[in-house]
Amino acid sequence: MHGVKRVRYSREALAAKKEREQAKLKEYESLTGEVLARKKTKDWSQGSFDLTTKLLHVNPEFYTVWNYRRNILLNGLFPGRTPAEINDLLSDDLSLTTAFLKQHPKVYWIWNHRQWCLQQVPDGPSEEDPEAWRQSYWNKELFVVEKMLDADARNFHAWNYRRNVLSHMPIRRSEQSELVYTKRKIEANFSNFSAWHQRSKVLTSMWESGKLDKSRSLEDEFDLVKNAMYTDPNDQSVWIYHRWLVGSGDDRVIVEREIDSIQELLEEQPDSKWCMESLVFYKRLLLRKHEDSLTDGDRNDLENKCLELLTKLQSVDPDRRQRYLDLSHSKRAVE
Amino acid sequence: MGSALDIPLHVKYIQSLGENKDDLVYHLTAHLRMNAVYWGLTALCIMGHKDALDRDETIAFVMSCWDNEAGAFGAHPDHDAHIHATLSAIQILLMQDALDRIDVPRVVKYILSLQQPSGVFAGDHFGEIDTRFLYCAVNALSLLDHLHELDVEKTVGYIRRCKNFDGGFGAREGAESHAAQVWVCVSALAILDRLDEVDQDTLGWWLAERQVPNGGLNGRPEKLEDVCYSHWVLSTMSILNKIPWIDADKLTAFILSAQDLEHGGIADRPGDLPDVFHTIFGLGGLSLLGYPGLADLDPVYCMPADLIESKGLRKGWEALPRRSLT
Repeated sequence: MHGVKRVRYSREALAAKKEREQAKLKEYESLTGEVLARKKTKDWSQGSFDLTTKLLHVNPEFYTVWNYRRNILLNGLFPGRTPAEINDLLSDDLSLTTAFLKQHPKVYWIWNHRQWCLQQVPDGPSEEDPEAWRQSYWNKELFVVEKMLDADARNFHAWNYRRNVLSHMPIRRSEQSELVYTKRKIEANFSNFSAWHQRSKVLTSMWESGKLDKSRSLEDEFDLVKNAMYTDPNDQSVWIYHRWLVGSGDDRVIVEREIDSIQELLEEQPDSKWCMESLVFYKRLLLRKHEDSLTDGDRNDLENKCLELLTKLQSVDPDRRQRYLDLSHSKRAVE
Repeated sequence: MGSALDIPLHVKYIQSLGENKDDLVYHLTAHLRMNAVYWGLTALCIMGHKDALDRDETIAFVMSCWDNEAGAFGAHPDHDAHIHATLSAIQILLMQDALDRIDVPRVVKYILSLQQPSGVFAGDHFGEIDTRFLYCAVNALSLLDHLHELDVEKTVGYIRRCKNFDGGFGAREGAESHAAQVWVCVSALAILDRLDEVDQDTLGWWLAERQVPNGGLNGRPEKLEDVCYSHWVLSTMSILNKIPWIDADKLTAFILSAQDLEHGGIADRPGDLPDVFHTIFGLGGLSLLGYPGLADLDPVYCMPADLIESKGLRKGWEALPRRSLT
């Protein structure tokens, strides 16, 4: 259980609570017993289906009952029905899960059932147009997921489901539109690492396939990140994303430019742990990747600056002092 | 500094869990029962009170959850088999020295049947995939001495594809890094002797940044601290030999402050309702931090370290030295 506060009950209140629960408990045990007994006899009837609906309303985490429900659909309710009728049954179950998700947005079993329903959608409405039903459902899924992410922009179930929907839609949405979506989420809240993460996946895919010119796109990303950094220099999401943008450090111009940019920010925010941490990382990246093009003087300056920053970090971010100490002792370590 | 760990109280709390049979919540969580018994038993072992639960009753409970159609264990009698319940069953029987009760060939067959073409494992035959289930498979096969039947390259290949730019791992390919998924992936790699797949410095950094100002650990950037991350994050750091990268005293204080010192048990954070899940993970964290009076926990298997060592399965993890009781 998460986030449930401890409550102090008076003796009377506790007794009253127990009494109310006894009635509920009797009902629950009787319903559970009935459903599991029918399951044992492989009862695939409508009556059993309706009982699973009732039980799942009380306890949508009862995975065995979700399993039974699916088996009833497959073995009892789908056989002998037309594709349109099957479609209606699935539509009802999708509505059911939408209602459940509003109350229980993080229950794996509900998301699973939703996905299962979508996988069962038959070809239709006609032989000439077999994908239309599926396309319509998947479009709606995107809409449902967006509502879930509006309610909780960090819900990883919803983000995982979103990725699933995007990859399964018969007519795929463009990756460009996903870039737009992630940008919208990021601009609503720079602390949304889930959106930054998604953006990194989409960009990687578009760069690798050549759909987007990497160097131009990188510049746009650096602008976006710089804006976020200056707005809230304490937000680690931005700095983690920035480290990914700088990447291998093979492009010396980028590394040096970013070092300068962060140095400027540090001057405005002299106690910024993230500025200091990042400067150490990028300076050492420069030392590792571009050693040959640096003079001895430059190299010593860089390394001394790193040691200076690492000492300061031990007092600015004391919880992690041992890491900064370790980094001081391993010359030119990556992290 | 705050309260000490009240071991006798937490032992009583765990014992009481099986006794609250007229609590609605007890029944509403039947789908987690096998896991709960494993969490409770492991917690008792770490506190040195394994015998607080009756051995025969525990074994009988586990065996009553055998799903003979599937050839594996469910969470509760008459509940369907699932890989997570199956792992918990194996872990409980091992701790109770009753592994011989398992039909090993059938269970191994069930586990292997859940591997997907991509290398990930499903939780059951309805197909939900998650790196958690990959970990369940690797751990279970390892404890049953059948790891040699696993296609290691295929399995490691999937984990590799779940690696993110922050060094962490997600629930599936493309998913965001989350401390619990990081732990299952890194532990699976540890069991398979493939920690070379981990970018240890980057991941160590990401993990260290999970500590928030009040000393607790969160699971992802900008999320709330929670005692269970004392396990997911700290165990992973132990495997990477990087526990010193966080402040141990502050984390210890945080976990201790989440105890329910009236009724026992540990909660997700101070003032909340305790449960057996947060109790074991809080205790596990304290054990790795060297808290006095606790037994060693193996962070790869989340089981008593001496038991795992006796099976020859101990990997190269490091915990903080155990402080003495005085």
